[in-house]
Amino acid sequence: MAIYLKIALRNIWRNKGRSLITLSAIVFGYISIVVAGGFIEDVFYQMRESYIHSFLGHIQVSKKGFYEKGASRPFEFMIDHPRRMMERILNLPHVRSVTPRLEFAGLLSNGENTISFMGQGVDPEGEKRVSSFLTIEDGRSLEPGDRYAVILGRGLAKAMGVRPGDPLIILTNTVDGAINGMDVEVKGVFYTSSKAFDDRTLRMPIETAQKLLQTEKVQTLVILLDDTRNTDLVLHQLRSWFRQEDLPLEARPWYNMADFYNKTVTLFNRQFFVLKLIIAIIVVLSIFNTMNMAVLERIGEIGTIRALGTKRRGVVMLFLAEGVIMGLIGGVAGAIAGYGSARLISYFGIPMPPPPGATIEWVATIRVVPEVFLFAFSLSLITALISSVYPAYKASRLKISEALRHNV
Amino acid sequence: MPRIVEAQGLYKIFHLGKTQVEALVDITFHVEKGEFLALVGPSGSGKSTLLNLIGCIEPPTRGTIHLDGIDITNLDDNSLSTIRAERIGFVFQNFNLLPVLTAYENIEYPLHIRGMPKREREERVKALLDAVGLARFANHRPAELSGGQRQRVAIARALAGSPSIVLADEPTANLDHATGREVLKLMKGLNRTYGTTFIFSTHDPQIMSFADRVVELRDGRIAS
Repeated sequence: MAIYLKIALRNIWRNKGRSLITLSAIVFGYISIVVAGGFIEDVFYQMRESYIHSFLGHIQVSKKGFYEKGASRPFEFMIDHPRRMMERILNLPHVRSVTPRLEFAGLLSNGENTISFMGQGVDPEGEKRVSSFLTIEDGRSLEPGDRYAVILGRGLAKAMGVRPGDPLIILTNTVDGAINGMDVEVKGVFYTSSKAFDDRTLRMPIETAQKLLQTEKVQTLVILLDDTRNTDLVLHQLRSWFRQEDLPLEARPWYNMADFYNKTVTLFNRQFFVLKLIIAIIVVLSIFNTMNMAVLERIGEIGTIRALGTKRRGVVMLFLAEGVIMGLIGGVAGAIAGYGSARLISYFGIPMPPPPGATIEWVATIRVVPEVFLFAFSLSLITALISSVYPAYKASRLKISEALRHNV
Repeated sequence: MPRIVEAQGLYKIFHLGKTQVEALVDITFHVEKGEFLALVGPSGSGKSTLLNLIGCIEPPTRGTIHLDGIDITNLDDNSLSTIRAERIGFVFQNFNLLPVLTAYENIEYPLHIRGMPKREREERVKALLDAVGLARFANHRPAELSGGQRQRVAIARALAGSPSIVLADEPTANLDHATGREVLKLMKGLNRTYGTTFIFSTHDPQIMSFADRVVELRDGRIAS
């Protein structure tokens, strides 16, 4: 085998120009995959983190059944003693913060206009950590100690025609079904990456919301972790704990709630698959062409080594070795070039328009993802091997007497 | 003397479209071990075809052929490759050295195929380089050698695996007269030293004089 590797390596070196063109095809394919894959990963990452930090958190805890039936009967699924639960969750490893939420719907009026809204009662201090993608555009955010105060999404504020300092009237049902109203003051106007969210959401301190709804309970506890990659670990701990203590609670990870994100991932992954396929075909055709040329040029040599007693599988190994070495060199060069390209593009950044349904422009980068690099490397190697198979087979089936007639 | 090649009623017919070409017709002959035999005849007389048949490079259309006591007429490709690697050495008109390997590595190649350990390979290749007078050129690639030197490397390569027989197809055709004679002398010397059987084809009457025996082919038949 060593002798085949030696000959293969020297044959690659022998025709430097052609080998360089083939290697360029492999490197180009590698860079394309790394850049496209790294870009898509960045889109996924930014979208994921945006969802998590805008409002979802990494994990949400609620009463069992809330997610299935909570939309129609939100007050039937409330967590008792939320403070006690929050303290226990905070003691789990990787948990950075826990904040309660109480969601409700109602009508908002400024005396002239009345409009429906989605309300969130939040803890201003805790929510700062889980709403880092929520930006105050005008006025200020909610602060500890605020009472009868609200902040409105950009779209909702525009629809109501209000600014910070303006009064509003909120009308809603209490948890018992009675009608309750409250005067509040607009403290600020916010926007997030989701236009739909900004068009219909308002936030108020959770104590104010509890007073408005006449309850001491909450619906959800939003947990933020130190790293998104720890989601499943903490989720497993929470579920084990609920099961062991027979608590009527359930924990849901962010990915079960981010429907738009999941659909985007599926769509992008399909597109990326097609891109990978096209790149693989280009690389295969390029190496196939080189190997075919190599066989044609070396017919005399193939005849010679066959006459000297090399078996057919030896000839196959010789040409496959050439393909694999080409794939390996291309793979290593591609990894270096791919890394360089990713860092260079990321240094300048790619200005992106707001995604569908969002309002904020953003800057994409090319993430260096080890899995993408590994995939591109495997692709270089496998395509090089596949595209060498037929030329290698063809070389091994040459008639020795005819091959020998070609000059060496 | 024991026979190393024994051919009985050999035919080789090539099909060129609808035309049949009889390259060899009813060849019956034998070669004894240690012989230095010349196959002579004009171009197209069937010399190369007969060498190919003896060399397990292609099978006869009809007839039988034994090499070193083995019936090689109907063996599969793998078995024929093994016989070529272990029992036959080839010298070609165009030298047929692998251009990416040095003189040393070209001679070493058949020993790789036979799976010989590195130390033994080294000893064998050095001895052969000395025998053909090319020790100084061990690390030269074929492109850096003269025609005569290349053919000497090819002869060393043919002898590397200690074959029972060396088949040389027009080994002097691409060499000037003096170099051709030198190469023939070298082959003859190795034939005497190692007792290796040599069959070489030629149409040069002066070179025939080196042979122990001359077999003449004409139109695919043995003429004498």
